[in-house]
Amino acid sequence: MTVEATVPDISASRAWVAHLKQGLGTAARHRSIQVGGALFGFIVLLAIFADLIAPFDPNKNNFRALLSAPDAVNIFGTDAFGRDILSRVIHGTRLSLLVGLLVVVATGVLGVIVGTLTGYVRWLDGPVMRVMDGLMAFPGILLAIALAAVLGPSVTNAALALTITFTPRTARIVRGSVLVLREMPYVEAAKACGASHARIVLKHILPNALPPLIVQLTFVFSVSILAEAVLSFMGVGPPPPTPSLGNIIAEGRSYIQEAPWVALMPGIAIAMTVLGLNIIGDGLRDTLDPRLRNL
Amino acid sequence: MRKQKRITNKARLRKALAIPALVLGIAASPVVGQVEGGKLVLAQSANPPSLDAMTSSSETARNINMNIYEPLVAIDENVNPIPMLAKSIEPSDDLLTYVFPLRQGVLFHNGKEMTAEDVKASLERYREVGATRGMLDKVEEIEITGDYEVTFHMSEATPTFIEGFSSPRAPAVIIPAEEAAKPANEIEIIGTGPFKFVEFVPDDHVTLEKFADYVPNEDFDGPTGFGGKKTAYLDSAVFRIIPEAGARIAALEAGEVQWADQIPVPAAKRMSSDDSLNVYEARQWAFLTFIMNWNLPPTDDVNFRRAVLYAIEPEEVMAIATEGFYDLNHGWQYPGRTYNAGDIGKEIYEGAHIDKAKEFLAKSDYDGEEFLILTDPNYAEHSRAAVVLAEQLKPIGINAVVKQLDWATVLKIRLTDEGWNGWTLMQGLEPFLGPYGIAAKMRGDQTHMRGTADVFEESYNRLITGKTVEDRQKAFAEIQTAIYDLVPQIKIGDVGRMQAGSARLKGFKPFRAPRLNDIWLED
Repeated sequence: MTVEATVPDISASRAWVAHLKQGLGTAARHRSIQVGGALFGFIVLLAIFADLIAPFDPNKNNFRALLSAPDAVNIFGTDAFGRDILSRVIHGTRLSLLVGLLVVVATGVLGVIVGTLTGYVRWLDGPVMRVMDGLMAFPGILLAIALAAVLGPSVTNAALALTITFTPRTARIVRGSVLVLREMPYVEAAKACGASHARIVLKHILPNALPPLIVQLTFVFSVSILAEAVLSFMGVGPPPPTPSLGNIIAEGRSYIQEAPWVALMPGIAIAMTVLGLNIIGDGLRDTLDPRLRNL
Repeated sequence: MRKQKRITNKARLRKALAIPALVLGIAASPVVGQVEGGKLVLAQSANPPSLDAMTSSSETARNINMNIYEPLVAIDENVNPIPMLAKSIEPSDDLLTYVFPLRQGVLFHNGKEMTAEDVKASLERYREVGATRGMLDKVEEIEITGDYEVTFHMSEATPTFIEGFSSPRAPAVIIPAEEAAKPANEIEIIGTGPFKFVEFVPDDHVTLEKFADYVPNEDFDGPTGFGGKKTAYLDSAVFRIIPEAGARIAALEAGEVQWADQIPVPAAKRMSSDDSLNVYEARQWAFLTFIMNWNLPPTDDVNFRRAVLYAIEPEEVMAIATEGFYDLNHGWQYPGRTYNAGDIGKEIYEGAHIDKAKEFLAKSDYDGEEFLILTDPNYAEHSRAAVVLAEQLKPIGINAVVKQLDWATVLKIRLTDEGWNGWTLMQGLEPFLGPYGIAAKMRGDQTHMRGTADVFEESYNRLITGKTVEDRQKAFAEIQTAIYDLVPQIKIGDVGRMQAGSARLKGFKPFRAPRLNDIWLED
């Protein structure tokens, strides 16, 4: 007789896959997710096909068209280098989304590992979470600026700095869920049946800890886009002439009265991207949180 | 006995006032209705790298230091040398001796009276730590010939010596002898100028206050250039460090500062219609240049440097870097100046020569490695030029990468052989003062390009020792030829400068650094 055969299938993989499918189906019908998804999806498509959609090379200078107002040729106008702002915003959005995605994946993976270990392995909880608390004690954006300044300006370093900033917050959420879930009767039952720790964590705890993590990651995504813009604005983002939404705004701030379109257009792009993500996040929270599901 | 002719202050001032200002169109003029007191707040883009005036040739340091310190010989409004702490300049006929009787009763900010001992100690220190110490190369000995007199003994007759010695680029200022014994950047900030140092908070501000015991030079009727009879009306002045141009403009328009440097051209055009502000425009402010590091591949290869030279389209760089406020000029002197070398290099300068550039690149050992362009955001012209240059070099196959760091860090890195290949730099004082400053940065052990060639050394020597103007013009023409051949630096064009101030600020005349003397704030 094997232990596997005797473990009751209380929350086995098929059940949570079905649960997830049901959740996604519900999510797809949620009005907020539809609106946010459409907005964010449009921006993602722009970013993916930036090379095809952008009307001009984003780094192509034109000294005969410096700070030109928006017109039929340059719909968003041009900057102080005569570069097409629409093209730079499209390519800048790609970079912002790339940084956001890198940070979400990295903080998601690290947050799950650290949060699960600290929540499940009691002796690890104290020391590891004190380190996380230490990192959280610094203002996030300040820590990111300091790290990016030390590591040097680049896309990778900006993503790394933001990952270090946001991982403790993600880990804390996962840990909180794991602390509750490990005391649940079905986990106790699995233990009683002799299930291994790995099985308990992967099959019984983690699937149930994911919903709040998914909501948190949409927040991390939008905050990462904002933070990347801040880093670029401060001059510790990708080096020139690489366009990012933050450095386009930074370049435009000297001309805010004479050529407001330079800073305004990337500002609107950031607002739309973050708005789309936040609406999706709200919808996911409504859908995945049982307490809010029927409200 | 050598015959000596005496250059007095009165004679110099008469000459200064008689000649219309060549550069800025402004001459010293008497003013009325001065208001005593008040605090003037000025905004500049970067920290002074050092307040030890001898050691820094940076504009941001000079802006402050020229109000704290004074040299033996200064320049007047028309860039002619005039005695400052010296009572007069008495060269011998054979130019092998210069006697400098000193003004008596001049006080340092610590209350001590300046004597010949302080002068000798300061100038001996300048030989060690001065950023342009080459100007004293021909001075064999500085002798104290009285309590208030020093005599320079020259190794060789150098007709241009006093012009070089009066340079405010990294000025040979006089400090107390006890401070002169200290290493670079470790002195107490003590000078003889009309304002004394109070505090420096890096990245924030430098505060100066009026030196109540300042002894003005009564040999002059009024101020001129960095010399003359200076009078301090303000109680204090604060130089605020505001790197971002938009923030400087906002601070000026909000009344938080009363003077701001480096105003973007579009903003200056808008501000010129505002009655509460004055916009100051200087057309020939600086040369925009691109310096190359001779000690690091790939720029250690002359063919690579030639490829860069031929690939550059100066008009595009200038139009973007200066926001349209520029003149195209291939020369290493301003047009119409005595030492302008005519058409040398003009053909190369006019437009990009892509085929030629590719030819030189093919001849070089370049293998696609990074070509690091060092620049800073504190001077928008520097960073914008770097971005445009990088884009112009990519099509011929140069892997140009812009490395943007803050100004202070850039100044440290460029003094090393590593970490940069090209460096965008506006050179303001060098061309303003004539050919010597330009030539000096290509010879000796302190070159911009971290190396030199015999031709620069030999031509410079002929430039400073040439007996006639024609001899010296010929020497400078050789230098310009060598610049276009060996490519230590690339001339991009002539840059203008916009400054602006509150209409309450009276008496202000733009010069190579803001002068706090003889200006005041109206209520």
